[in-house]
Amino acid sequence: MLRNMVVFLKMFLETLKMCKAEIVEDVEEAEGIKSLLLETSIKKPVPGQFVMVWVPGFEEIPISPSMYERNVLRLTVAAVGETTRKIHSLKPGERLFIRGPYGRGFNLDEKGNFLLVAGGYGAAPIIYALHELRKKGKNVAYVIGARSKDKLLFVGEAKKFNAEVYIATDDGSLGFKGSAVEVAEKLIAKYDNVLACGPERMLYKIMLKCLELGVKCQISIERYIKCGIGICGSCVLDPKGLRVCSEGPVFYAEELANTEFGKYYTYPPGIKKPTE
Amino acid sequence: MVNLKVSISKLKLKTPIILASGVLGSSYSTINRVIRETRIGAIVTKSFTWEPRVGYNTPIVAYTKAGIVNAVGLTNPGYRALKEILSNIVKNDAPIVVSIAASTPKEYAEIASFAEENGADAVELNLSCPHVKGHGLEIGQDPEYVGKIVHEVRSVLKIPVIVKLGLTDRIVDSALKAEKAGADAVSAINSIRSVVIDVYARKPILSNIYGGLSGPAIHPIAVRVVFDLYKNIEIPIIGIGGVTDWVDAVEFFLAGASAVAIASVIAVKGLKVIDEIIKGIEEYMDKEGFQKISELVGLAHGN
Repeated sequence: MLRNMVVFLKMFLETLKMCKAEIVEDVEEAEGIKSLLLETSIKKPVPGQFVMVWVPGFEEIPISPSMYERNVLRLTVAAVGETTRKIHSLKPGERLFIRGPYGRGFNLDEKGNFLLVAGGYGAAPIIYALHELRKKGKNVAYVIGARSKDKLLFVGEAKKFNAEVYIATDDGSLGFKGSAVEVAEKLIAKYDNVLACGPERMLYKIMLKCLELGVKCQISIERYIKCGIGICGSCVLDPKGLRVCSEGPVFYAEELANTEFGKYYTYPPGIKKPTE
Repeated sequence: MVNLKVSISKLKLKTPIILASGVLGSSYSTINRVIRETRIGAIVTKSFTWEPRVGYNTPIVAYTKAGIVNAVGLTNPGYRALKEILSNIVKNDAPIVVSIAASTPKEYAEIASFAEENGADAVELNLSCPHVKGHGLEIGQDPEYVGKIVHEVRSVLKIPVIVKLGLTDRIVDSALKAEKAGADAVSAINSIRSVVIDVYARKPILSNIYGGLSGPAIHPIAVRVVFDLYKNIEIPIIGIGGVTDWVDAVEFFLAGASAVAIASVIAVKGLKVIDEIIKGIEEYMDKEGFQKISELVGLAHGN
């Protein structure tokens, strides 16, 4: 028992260690969204888990990887703030610093087929889950929504992995004119599992639909993660006291029901803002 | 039959393990989880300040071989939020101790009164934050000032006043002044001021540069401090610092602590570690023939 504990402690401390990660390639994925391929020694993440990414001189931010293959980690990042804009400006040969992976990812061992629903850059952990599900030989459909066709993510990649692909754009420039939720809602009943990531309002509707139909649903949610290891209290989901960085970021629909999820968002130092 | 109950002044604890300030104590929902899921003896909230504090930019934690160094930056919604937070905590038998980090004796007293009015069972004066200017160690290492703050708070409060001191050369003097000014207990120690530099980034990792080291590395230092305090003061001592299992907790009792607080081990092992430690203490006492925690307190000082 003592030996188990020592191994466990060592594993935990390993995930705390800052690892340098060299950029080996950068890819323009869509308008304003870039992927970096990084060579790193961190442990293979489960799809849906996240890593903390530090750019010295800037902040350290949580990112859920969009792929992992033999020591190469792919991070897909939208330039939305100072740190992410800096990440976009980095070139192959330059370095980032990474610790993790942390949290609970998607459970891909659930039985049956999977409907994957992604909105905007929420597609990152979803496409990684799609890779791993296909490797397990599972039946997968990919619903991707974005504002316009220039912002759609991983359509070609999903097709390459032989997933059924459904597209929704707000402006109707490609596929269904409307949101990914509207497309997904009609499909959910045909699936045993739903995995979803994207804007909270979309995820909330998916959660309600899955609860109504009794379809197993795992949702990756976003909160203000600062320490990543469950001590700082920044990402707590009221009133259940769930730490998104430790008990999440992936939750089953039943766990999210009757929480602040879909209603408001608690920022440090405890300010509540309505869900956008 | 082993009895795990302990008293710290007027506080009655069903077990001698306390949740130290800083971890899981910032919102009512995490406090409620600790109450529902564990046998915790008492809970100390995250420190409340006069104004809300967002805390530092990330990175706020850094790894070392010796443990975790953190500089969260006293993130809290400001003391006025205590009213709502305390009213949302489920009724239970674990006393709720409100931690306060202020910058003047008057501020400490006002926040303490507010906490008392809104149902706090005790207050802990954080006089030892290792990484926030004007809210910490500078105060705790000046024994006269410690006495002044405790006196001011004691004179307006009915509930117990606990003083949390950090590692300084004058910690025993500060504790003596606190005792003389009417403190009901002393908790020691806080995390220890540190810097971690990444050799590839060639920069300090923490945005605040300085942080507080916690974890196993600071445990023997904390035991030394508790040992010294026990020789010098009469009021109960709460031992804090690097407790990861029941052995560390028992060591604190033997050094002179009446109760033991834990924090960063929860990040490593999860909430279940609280009950594991309590069970370990229980089994140790049973096997070694002790009925009450008080029989262990200070035993290592024996003649």
